[in-house]
Amino acid sequence: MKRRTFLGGAMAVAVVGYGSSTLAQQPPIKIGMSMPQTGGLAGGGKASLLGIEIWRDDVNAKGGLLGRKVELVVYDDKSSASETPAIYAKLVDVDKVDLLFAPYATVPTAPIMPFVKQRGLLLMGNFSFQVNSKVGHDMWFNNAPWGPADSWAASFLDLAQKAGGKNMALLTADQEFAQNLALTARDVAKKRNIPIVFDQVYPPNTVEFSSIVRALKAAKPDIVYVASYPPDSAGILRAVNEIGIGDSVKIFGGGMVGLQFAAVMSNLGSLLNGVVNYNTWLPEKSMYFDGTKEFFDKYTKRAVEAKVDPLGYYLAPFGYAMGQMIEAAVGATKSLDQKGIAKYLRENEHKTIVGPIAFSADGERKETATLQAQFRGVKDKDIEQFRSSGRQVILFPDKLKTGDLISPFEAARN
Amino acid sequence: MNKRNHSIAFWAAVVVFLVAVLSMTQIVRNEYPFFAGYVILQFIALAVAWSILGGYAGYVNFGTNAFFGVGVYTAVALFKATGAPLAVQIAAAAVVGMTLGFGVGLLTLRMRGIFFSIATIALAIIIETFVMNWRFVGGAAGIQIQRPPVMAPFDSYVKMLFFVQAILVVIAIAIARYIQNSRIGRGLQALRDDELAAECTGVPTLKLKLIACMISGALISAAGAPAAMYLQYADPSSAFNLSYSVSALAMALIGGTAHWIGPVLGAILLGSTQQLLAVTISSEVNVLVLGIMLVLFVVGAPKGIIGLLRPRYRLRAGGKQ
Repeated sequence: MKRRTFLGGAMAVAVVGYGSSTLAQQPPIKIGMSMPQTGGLAGGGKASLLGIEIWRDDVNAKGGLLGRKVELVVYDDKSSASETPAIYAKLVDVDKVDLLFAPYATVPTAPIMPFVKQRGLLLMGNFSFQVNSKVGHDMWFNNAPWGPADSWAASFLDLAQKAGGKNMALLTADQEFAQNLALTARDVAKKRNIPIVFDQVYPPNTVEFSSIVRALKAAKPDIVYVASYPPDSAGILRAVNEIGIGDSVKIFGGGMVGLQFAAVMSNLGSLLNGVVNYNTWLPEKSMYFDGTKEFFDKYTKRAVEAKVDPLGYYLAPFGYAMGQMIEAAVGATKSLDQKGIAKYLRENEHKTIVGPIAFSADGERKETATLQAQFRGVKDKDIEQFRSSGRQVILFPDKLKTGDLISPFEAARN
Repeated sequence: MNKRNHSIAFWAAVVVFLVAVLSMTQIVRNEYPFFAGYVILQFIALAVAWSILGGYAGYVNFGTNAFFGVGVYTAVALFKATGAPLAVQIAAAAVVGMTLGFGVGLLTLRMRGIFFSIATIALAIIIETFVMNWRFVGGAAGIQIQRPPVMAPFDSYVKMLFFVQAILVVIAIAIARYIQNSRIGRGLQALRDDELAAECTGVPTLKLKLIACMISGALISAAGAPAAMYLQYADPSSAFNLSYSVSALAMALIGGTAHWIGPVLGAILLGSTQQLLAVTISSEVNVLVLGIMLVLFVVGAPKGIIGLLRPRYRLRAGGKQ
């Protein structure tokens, strides 16, 4: 009896081994990355990773790249800049990965830029902001829709000026990303002769904003540009709701981080109405491309299990798109030669689930695809409402536009 | 005579260690061991430096990250302003760290125990806020740094940093060892056990505390200075990360603070575990593993690794006499 079981097992192993031998003979293509899975950036990092994993499963179901399976090698960088140099040295020198993806966000990515430049390695960027501007690596390609550095503030001020805004108030957190935005906003305002009537930088852990909002209101600005982080975004909106912001304000928002995440959105509910804020992907008609819907069907199912953002609009589809670009480039060049892949990525436009992507010389998008969208008709405590179109109407860019700005801000709040 | 033999053995070990490190940089091609090794060496230096004040004097300093960040940003500012070489950056960081240590030392005039610890946390927050608003060194957005060309005999900058950090470790250990065996160390031990009694019996407590703070601060800042060149990037939230304080403290406690070898053992154990976990388990679980390790040591070995080893040493020494 025992011997028969053993024989059966051996045969089964042999059959399975034979069946998968075409894929098994070739070693897998390894893609290495670090990803914030603990610490402040973990929420975003996990959602981004899920997007990349869905791509891996899709491409493997289609037979892999160059007939080889794709395998991800992922380490946790604890959201810290000090962890990534050692991790990427391990990925390259010990794990001998074939390709590299960058971790989510600017801080963990910045220390590895000089390393990849020195070694001449291709790096697919993952939502960092202007991390290559000083390094000048020609094999860096950012998946984020940011585009040129000043386009972020420029698009918001375009909308504001069209609505009749003539002077601006700035309210910004004293942190890396918000200060980058504030810097470009001041530059753009100066170029366009928009006077800044209020410029307040607040420390990162501020929770009480009523005195700041009162001072802001007293300055009677037309345009209010806010660059804030999740906890303060909520605090600012609560204070605005209590105190009001005055009838002079034509447009409010711009760079508020947090209003892209399901938990924060459902928590704030109707307080969001009227706010114009940046975004990367929204469930509006103009945003569906080849494969977008299928991606979100898979994401929605797996997000529950992976305990990540149930909507996943902000990062996950761009993780998938990063994989799609590699898939296209490896397919076209029929090799893993990083120089060849970089050349292909630089010279072509790529079809992805977040729309066509083309790169400029610095590895950022040629044109910005960062959305400015206005919250409308949002009710309290309901995540599901954000899955339907019309809750966040896209005002910019023109190609993707699904509505016009309602102004002034007070009128749009109701 | 016995003491002299000890000294000879110690310095021989130092020479062997440095020669081993230097030849490793010349022989090993793969760069990963140097990246990971640098971090472990950095933590040895931090833990040893921390225990001069925290272990010998018993003043628990939670502001390791303040001194570390000051070291990083001294190096950044100096490099950006004058392009100063690495050795000058480290020396300058040590001087600034020493000055800051003097300030912290004065705090001990009025504060002890938990209040001193809280004040050192506050110090870190104040300095971090200051750096965040200092645009010259990148402010809140951080700053990217281009390394200068590497110097002979090294063929990569990381290998050079690895060797430099090894020298800093040796300096930290030599100073800690000297303090431990000198009047300063005995004085610090006395004031740790009972500050009032020590003062009454003629131990110059304030002077000793100031010395301990200044030396500890200078060593921590010096160990932090090369981090700017290691990361080629500095931002306030990473440079002033509280994890430096927690790790330095945990390493010293796990190793034991009564002897300079304690923090060294603790840092090697915890530092390599951290590096190993980062590239093996690599998820939330690694935080859990470290947490469990800490709890086990606190419960099972309250005096650290050397506490576990000491009774045996004593027995043997007693047997010989």
